[in-house]
Amino acid sequence: MTDGLKRRDFLKVVGASGAGAGVLGCSTERVERLLPYVVPPEEITPGVATWYTTVCGECEAGCGMWVRTREGRVVKVEGNPTHPVSQGSLCSRGHSSLQALYNPDRFTGPMLRQGGELQSISWEDAEQMMAERLGAAGDYYLFTGSPGASMSGLMSDFAGSTGGQVVRYDPLAEAPLREASRITFGRDVVPWYDLEEADFLVSFGADFLESWLSPVRDGRGFARMSGVGEGGAKGRFAFVGSRLSLTGQNADEWLPIQPGSEALVALAMANVLSGGGGSAGPYRDIVAAYTPENVASVTGVEAESIRELAERFGEGPSLALGPGVAGLHRGATAANVAVAILNWVSGNVGTTVHYDAPQLEAPSSGFGPMEQAITAMSGGQVGAALVHGSNLVYALPASSGFREAFSSVDFKVSFASAMDETAAVADLILPDRHFLEAWGDATSRPGQWAVRQPAMRPVPHFDSKQTGDVLLSVATQMGQDLGSATFYDYLRTRWADLATTAGAADADAFWHESLRTGVAQVGVTPSGSAESLRQPDRGLVFDPPAFDGAGDLHLMVYPSSRYGDGALNANRPWLQELPDPVSKITWHSWVEIHPDRAEAMGIRNGDVVVLSTEHGSVEAPVWTYPGIREDVIALAMGSGHTDAGRFADGNGVNALDLLPSEAEALSGGLVHFVTKVDVQATGERRALASIAGSDSQSNRPITPAVALAGLGAEIGAEEDEHGPLQELQGGGGFVPVETEGLATDFPLPGSQYGEYGEEDTPRWAMAIDLDKCTGCSACVTACQAENNVPWVGESQVTMGRDMGWIRLERYYETVDASHAGPVDVRFLPMICQHCGNAPCEPVCPVFATYHTPDGINTQVYNRCVGTRYCANNCPYKVRVYNWYTYTGEEPVYEGLGHIPEPLNWQLNPDVTVRENGIMEKCSFCIHRIREHQDRAAVEGSTITDGQIIPACQQSCPAEAIVFGNIRDSGSAVALASHDERAYRVLDELVNTQPAVSYLKKVTFHEVDSGEH
Amino acid sequence: MEAQIPFSPFHTSGILHPPTPIRAAKYMTKRWIGACVVALAILTFPAFLQAQESGAAVVAEDPDPDQPIAFPHTIHAGVDQIDCQYCHFSAERSVDAGIPPVATCMGCHQMIRGTDEGQQAEIQKLVDYSENQEPIPWVRIYKVPDHVHFPHMRHIAAQVDCATCHGDVQEMTVIEEVNQPLSMGWCVSCHVERSVSRDCAVCHY
Repeated sequence: MTDGLKRRDFLKVVGASGAGAGVLGCSTERVERLLPYVVPPEEITPGVATWYTTVCGECEAGCGMWVRTREGRVVKVEGNPTHPVSQGSLCSRGHSSLQALYNPDRFTGPMLRQGGELQSISWEDAEQMMAERLGAAGDYYLFTGSPGASMSGLMSDFAGSTGGQVVRYDPLAEAPLREASRITFGRDVVPWYDLEEADFLVSFGADFLESWLSPVRDGRGFARMSGVGEGGAKGRFAFVGSRLSLTGQNADEWLPIQPGSEALVALAMANVLSGGGGSAGPYRDIVAAYTPENVASVTGVEAESIRELAERFGEGPSLALGPGVAGLHRGATAANVAVAILNWVSGNVGTTVHYDAPQLEAPSSGFGPMEQAITAMSGGQVGAALVHGSNLVYALPASSGFREAFSSVDFKVSFASAMDETAAVADLILPDRHFLEAWGDATSRPGQWAVRQPAMRPVPHFDSKQTGDVLLSVATQMGQDLGSATFYDYLRTRWADLATTAGAADADAFWHESLRTGVAQVGVTPSGSAESLRQPDRGLVFDPPAFDGAGDLHLMVYPSSRYGDGALNANRPWLQELPDPVSKITWHSWVEIHPDRAEAMGIRNGDVVVLSTEHGSVEAPVWTYPGIREDVIALAMGSGHTDAGRFADGNGVNALDLLPSEAEALSGGLVHFVTKVDVQATGERRALASIAGSDSQSNRPITPAVALAGLGAEIGAEEDEHGPLQELQGGGGFVPVETEGLATDFPLPGSQYGEYGEEDTPRWAMAIDLDKCTGCSACVTACQAENNVPWVGESQVTMGRDMGWIRLERYYETVDASHAGPVDVRFLPMICQHCGNAPCEPVCPVFATYHTPDGINTQVYNRCVGTRYCANNCPYKVRVYNWYTYTGEEPVYEGLGHIPEPLNWQLNPDVTVRENGIMEKCSFCIHRIREHQDRAAVEGSTITDGQIIPACQQSCPAEAIVFGNIRDSGSAVALASHDERAYRVLDELVNTQPAVSYLKKVTFHEVDSGEH
Repeated sequence: MEAQIPFSPFHTSGILHPPTPIRAAKYMTKRWIGACVVALAILTFPAFLQAQESGAAVVAEDPDPDQPIAFPHTIHAGVDQIDCQYCHFSAERSVDAGIPPVATCMGCHQMIRGTDEGQQAEIQKLVDYSENQEPIPWVRIYKVPDHVHFPHMRHIAAQVDCATCHGDVQEMTVIEEVNQPLSMGWCVSCHVERSVSRDCAVCHY
């Protein structure tokens, strides 16, 4: 600035010319067009959401979905409250299915590989070519994953009439569990578990809250079981395994057993419960042999601990689960048999375990038929191979030789909708529709059916065609008549049969009703028929299996909580940037190793190590984790893609590279926990892209807990004196307000930054029950989808610039891998606390954050100038700042968050999209509040408690979150905030008067209750 | 949330653009950036300023393009006294007032083909759009920034006359912006007058 000019004069000039600049700015605005409908669709009102029901296609569980569409495009998916599996909730993976629908890396149309390059081809030519080549091929294979009931039927019909063979392969299929069910009860099924009915739960490594069977339904059942209820009733959960998964972190106690020794613990428990094997039927002698004392040294668990566990297990309704996929070792079937025996001797079969009404109907072929297929393909015996709904080149270990065998086939067809490792070697690509654009159906249990319907027209950027239609068209060209011209007709024909089975008079009405409600009961779901334990028809070895390799470090390859096996869903920034619920790491892979072991090896957090087995080696940074045994190394599946799209490629390593391709002898399931591993430091280090600040609360009462025995004594224990608080206030801090944030305490006196409204104005508030919260992080993704929260990219996360409005904090209290005992890991979904006395408000120079009359600490984006004072003054670190524009079409620089077309079709039109320089945070889903208020005002109705549901609450499988008007003393949130377990984070220290109450976790062991 | 779950999803066309990232604090940041540039220019290069201003007047797209059809509100709303919400059909139940589908236009213009050549030519354009099954690319006149939420139905329910914001359209041959720009001060003045909330988070979220 020149010396002669005074500041005031400068501002005058600036002000005057600024006005001119503003006008100039307006005149260059882009011209917008308004495009009306040609013919108005009846169900669409512009500006009002239209909802459709469908079934999630992300895993076999088959959660019913509600799909929210605006002006014909899908903007959000939610659980269907009437569907028996999802019951209104959804997991992160389900939410992220939208990013597969709008995946910018989807194929633009059918492609043919010519001279190594993919060239566009018309659908007619492609189908004709497929018909000709299949006709000439003789034998061929049709590989698929979990396509849904009717699609499976069509595939069988198609392959049967054209000389092919269908191989269904799901890497996470429960082959050992099915085989064990067959051996013990003669039923080749995945049994139905009723977690809610149990009082005591033992998981032998089954990760039922994250990847095993049906995580949403089981998450709900678990929370209902383990959350403290009326009169202090609380179910108990023990985890038996070598590594604490997210499920394990929710346990009350942990038996860190020797790798592969689940069967012995289960049998020893059965031994105690059956009086030395007496009531174990045909397994009497086996059970008799495994006393707690006999197995103690092999399992690494003291006999007394097993005995104690068994006795509690026998006390009431109980349930034993597992082992899951992470524990799929060479003795997995025997271990599942042992768990079935344990359930049998405890009387759980028919009460908490149901073999007569199983779940996950889809029969997977297991690895055995796949092995035969690989042999046949590499032997040149097949003329063609078709791959649908799976990415086998990625999902099978490199050592299986699938890639080479598949590549050697003359004619390879992929039905992948987006590029993946398998499509990368295919000759012809016939992109399938995403499940939100397609017809289909699913059955979650006998009798429970649901239709999958298109919730929108196919995304116009991609010329896709439903594989069912392709198969029917090709079959016709091959001279076969499969009875239907289109897959829709095929589906309707099958549903006409279902209508008959269901006893519906009018098949059309049945179909329409099924579409409308999203669920159909066809026949009776059997329950409670008597089962009897059968004589085993196969030789069972219960002793821990052998592990290949030298040394004492066992390699555990487990399905990721975010991706599962990650074969088809890794190209989604929401999942990539979702902090892993256990490690809190985003984007890249990490190697889990016990801190003591790491120290002994001279390795620190972030050191890059090479893991090598005789099958391969991978390189990844170390993350030390006390929840894993010292002789176990763990690595998650789902990363390390090479051809899966711009967001997935190059992140992390594929854990399957370390594994042999070996089927478990009895079930044919691919083994994951089978080899030892060599760990060598490379000397390099890298920063972990983690959002975890600390694993310890450092004596701060962030997530205090209360012992079950201490419940009821809490009331009146509040301290009168707030020592540090008064000091702060004496120093000129915030307004001293002595309230407890209860319904009667509003409006708060004295806050200058916004005024609460009159008596009839609501005060929005939330309560989160930490005794129910499982840390599954479904709320995090739901919030991201609902509120247009951008992803920022690995480099930004590493710098601490992650944008999540919900940070699922995880603190260790008691985690000890050295012996059996209590485990205590605390979860806390940290959101904006909407403080009544908010530290962020007085420091904002432009009044961009203030209190609304209905008690929301709001952020006015168009006022914010990005000083970040508010974030600096927030004791909860919930304000996140747009350092760059993460919402543009192109990244500001390589690797930075951006929303390329058509991913931007997902953006919620009700929520402002932010650009750089803007502070943002949880808004309590204010747009949902306003939507209900608008509707109530127009209709003249009133808003009832529970009507307004924020995205996090809507998504929570554990039902941990309630939201409402705390001034209404009868509302759920007012009642929860009056609960004896209710507390407000750091309120005693900084007097923020949050609107969010948390309910303390309840433990069985004595805890320092966190009082200050 | 009350969900309508229709069972026939196969009627979607005329998809609107997704929300573009807002220029939050647009006026402020632009103004400041512009101001700094201009102030520097004033202080150092007056001639350069001149060049900037004349340069800024040149825009890539016609800032004031004609409507694709010369639709006269004077006849429809004025002479024929058609209710606003007959065409802007969702104003009382949605945040969006709704632009009439081509089929709504054709409902009358199937029979009414104009009395003079000028009218007939314009109505023929409509018929062409209808026969080609194409939407009419109307030029948008009224727009609040993306960070403002204006629910039409609340204002209809509060019996605010359409003309309060949109002027006497029955007298406009070509729709023109009245009360423009739709500034926040103008919105707030009405909210103050009617003693309704002027809390920021009523519109900004």
